[in-house]
Amino acid sequence: MKARIFEIKRFAVHDGDGIRTTVFFKGCPLKCVWCHNPEGIGAHPQLAYYDNKCIGCGECVRVCPTNAQNIANGVHFFDRTGCLACGKCTESCLGDALKLYGKEMTVAELLPLLLEDQDFYENSGGGVTLSGGECLMQADFCAELLKQLKEYGIHTAVDTCGFVTKEALDRVIPFTDIFLYDIKARDEDVHIKCTGQSNKRILENLRYLDALGKSIEIRIPYVPQWNDDQIEKIAHLLSDLKHITKIRVLSYHNYAGSKYASLDMENTLPSLLPSDEETEKARQILKDMTNFSVST
Amino acid sequence: MLLHFDSQKNSLDGQFEMPHWITDSGLSTDELESLVSELEQAYASKAIIKAKTLALLADKAQIAIDADDIFQDKLMGSGIMKSQRKRWENEAKERYLATETAEMRRAWKEFGAYKGEADYGHTSPNTRLLLSVGLTGLLERVEIASQKEGLSQKQKDFYESCRIVLNAVITVAGRLAEAIRPYNVENSKALLSIASGKPQNSYEAMQLLILYFFMHEYIGGTRVRTLGRLDVLLYPFYKNDTENGVYTKAEIKEMLKFFLYKFWVAKVPFDLPFCLGGIDADGNEVTNEISYLIVETYNELNIYSPKIHIRVSEKTPADFVKLVLSCIRGGNSSFVFVNDRIAIKSLMNVSIEERDARDYVPIGCYEPAVWGVEIGCTGNGGVNLPKAVELVFNNGRDLKSGALCGVETGKIDSFEAFVSAVKKQIAYMTRRAMDYVCKIERHYDEINPDPLLSCQYEHSVAQGVDVYEGGAKYNNSSLYFYSIASLTDAICAVKKLIFEQKRYTFDEFGDILRANWQGHERERAIALRLSEKYGNNNPTADAIAVEFSDFCAALINNKPNGRDGVFKAALFSVDHYLPISKRTMATPDGRLAGEPLSKNLCAVTAMDKHGVTALINSVTKMDHAKFPTGSVLDIVLHPSAVSGEDGLEAFYGILMTYMRKGGFAMHGNVFLAEDLKKAQAEPEKYQNLQVRVCGWNAYFVNLSKVEQDAFIRQAENSL
Repeated sequence: MKARIFEIKRFAVHDGDGIRTTVFFKGCPLKCVWCHNPEGIGAHPQLAYYDNKCIGCGECVRVCPTNAQNIANGVHFFDRTGCLACGKCTESCLGDALKLYGKEMTVAELLPLLLEDQDFYENSGGGVTLSGGECLMQADFCAELLKQLKEYGIHTAVDTCGFVTKEALDRVIPFTDIFLYDIKARDEDVHIKCTGQSNKRILENLRYLDALGKSIEIRIPYVPQWNDDQIEKIAHLLSDLKHITKIRVLSYHNYAGSKYASLDMENTLPSLLPSDEETEKARQILKDMTNFSVST
Repeated sequence: MLLHFDSQKNSLDGQFEMPHWITDSGLSTDELESLVSELEQAYASKAIIKAKTLALLADKAQIAIDADDIFQDKLMGSGIMKSQRKRWENEAKERYLATETAEMRRAWKEFGAYKGEADYGHTSPNTRLLLSVGLTGLLERVEIASQKEGLSQKQKDFYESCRIVLNAVITVAGRLAEAIRPYNVENSKALLSIASGKPQNSYEAMQLLILYFFMHEYIGGTRVRTLGRLDVLLYPFYKNDTENGVYTKAEIKEMLKFFLYKFWVAKVPFDLPFCLGGIDADGNEVTNEISYLIVETYNELNIYSPKIHIRVSEKTPADFVKLVLSCIRGGNSSFVFVNDRIAIKSLMNVSIEERDARDYVPIGCYEPAVWGVEIGCTGNGGVNLPKAVELVFNNGRDLKSGALCGVETGKIDSFEAFVSAVKKQIAYMTRRAMDYVCKIERHYDEINPDPLLSCQYEHSVAQGVDVYEGGAKYNNSSLYFYSIASLTDAICAVKKLIFEQKRYTFDEFGDILRANWQGHERERAIALRLSEKYGNNNPTADAIAVEFSDFCAALINNKPNGRDGVFKAALFSVDHYLPISKRTMATPDGRLAGEPLSKNLCAVTAMDKHGVTALINSVTKMDHAKFPTGSVLDIVLHPSAVSGEDGLEAFYGILMTYMRKGGFAMHGNVFLAEDLKKAQAEPEKYQNLQVRVCGWNAYFVNLSKVEQDAFIRQAENSL
């Protein structure tokens, strides 16, 4: 069994408690306009090309099996249509301008990498977080990985958008210490506008996890003009739940622009950024309307 | 009545720039100097001359009073004894070591290869004994020891010199007491009390520490490199004062402000350290109420000197460590953490008894030495490790001058031969530096007898032998090994490019390096991009770092020095790595000639591509207990990684993991590359931005451009 992984981030301190390693799985059922990991949306491997890093060395041309990489008069040209995303060029690129998002990995390959920082997890109350994309689109793999992590006594977190089947959740529930659960909107029409999908299943799954008594950390991206009118409604929704450990309001940023460009993807990032006062106000509302701890 | 710090603060600032000398209280410097030369003619024993010089200054030099301060310390004549020692050192070198000194100078100043030198400056005086028995108690001990039968003339001179210097300090205390009386009766009483007996309370204890420090360092001219374990020192006084209504906690805090601020305004070179926390000789944790009070007070003062060493054991309270981490996170980086477990083990590796080892105190930057029992002398020079690679490629010659600087290792045809040749060069450079240190140390009796230090060392007093002549229980010396990461990356590149991929022969690669990669930009990009680099938890690179760190440590640990002690190895680079970088040619890892080599235990800048956890995993594969003079990792963290309550836990997790995995010492800088760039562009707006340079701190805006750029590159790599 293999999964498609697009990144392994060490010393992750914003994906659950303590020092963690976060594994990013490729493929996501949603398409949020503000997505800051666009390389995680598509299920298939993708080659990214960062033209500002290209030094024109031509190493990629030498190794490319399909002539997708070309160089003429010292200027590099990448023909994405011919690219198989085999990743050979990324190994030889001297400027680190080419990067492959989506590497096939087995549990046996992944596990030793995640165990490298076990001492850090233990000394900080951290662990391993599975994220994405949407990791639960590869739920069988996740379940097997989480199970083996638990055998090493490692704290596990699953970061999910919730737009997954109940069966997928059931697969990982026994081996997951905490769910990091994204709530983007309460109103269905707003949710569809922001993500392309209904939130019905997401809310059902949230109640399901809560009813089972699983620990849940709620994460709300705050994006002006898109979901800023949803905060009170979300607060109302959450106030009925019993197993929320914390609510985080994540202030939207637009740093991901260069990633869209590197993948030739249409940049959908909203241009308006929230002010510190706005996000603080959103936190205050959540604090006032629920009994949960609210943080950045 | 004690004064209030906040209302006095501004008037304390200029006290060392413009002391209020009482002109009729003594002679001018010129007059003093001429009396000193008369003394030098009159006596044969250097110890007696030195003691009498101090006594002369104590009697006849002008004093100054700080009426706005609550502590007194000023005696004119600073520099006289330092230049006396410098003269004696030059005479000894001229007489016994002229050729060797010239060779050593060239090896360092021209080749940037290795350095051996005399060091009198890393001391850890027995301030605990000083405070528990007082000046008069020390004097009594000298008297008793000197009653022994059958003493040699040298021993008699030793005791006489101790007697003279202790009386000299008592004289100064009396003179200052007299002069301050019209302004501050309480201060005057405190000075009289320490002149006539042991200190009775927190105030007198602090006044005695200050007086002793300024007499020893500024007048005596020997650099005191730590006040000792300040929480251990002050706690008995603090406890007694607060329990018996002598002083309240608030009053003691006020005193601490004046106390700490004194060293700040004195601008002690490289900052004066003291130590808090850690276990005692019995294995019990010492952190107490005053440890917290000192850190809080220090942080409120918003100063970076004195600097603070935090000893961390498994028993050190987590909230104390977190208090310090929160200061660092808030921008005060003048703290170093030292790992008790490894430091103690390292000292035991050079035959220091366990109970002694547990009572170590970091001197200077991080180097552990037994408090008041060992004479550390940890600044005897060091060896530029990457220079060994240059020497191998050039058959033992310094590339720039063509002069022989190492050994002729000839043509290299295998990786094993290369490794062995690099080791030969390192061993040669180390041997040269050690030989020189041993030779000069044999003349310390003619250069730097130090009765003021010796009279605090029980072993020295018992034997009647000066601490600089082997009088202490442990009389050790040290050498540093510089830039282990640059060495590792260079060796990895040679292994891969020459012997595995066979891209070039040894001679061809040598030509590329001699050309400083010019015309070989593509080859350089390949070398820079190799994955076998130190600091990435890469097994190949880390194995080389382990092999060479073990090799270096074994070259010097437990080898005899020139003073009845042994050498202790260190694996850090102070700020020496910048000047030696300029004198080191291009290295196989892609570094250009003159570019900075790696600092301390850090990776080559921007080559640690897998973050701080991978860096720590790499660093802790080496056995740091083999470095009894220490090793240190500087970590640069992005503010967002350590913000909030979660961030503090993460910071604590990083530190404790480093310690538990066997790291020795760590200091942290928390800042954004962006802020450093702005500070470089508009220094006037960032006057307060401080950074940890090495064992000391500085304001970023006061660093050279090269140093600033090194910090910016490191910060850019922090996330």
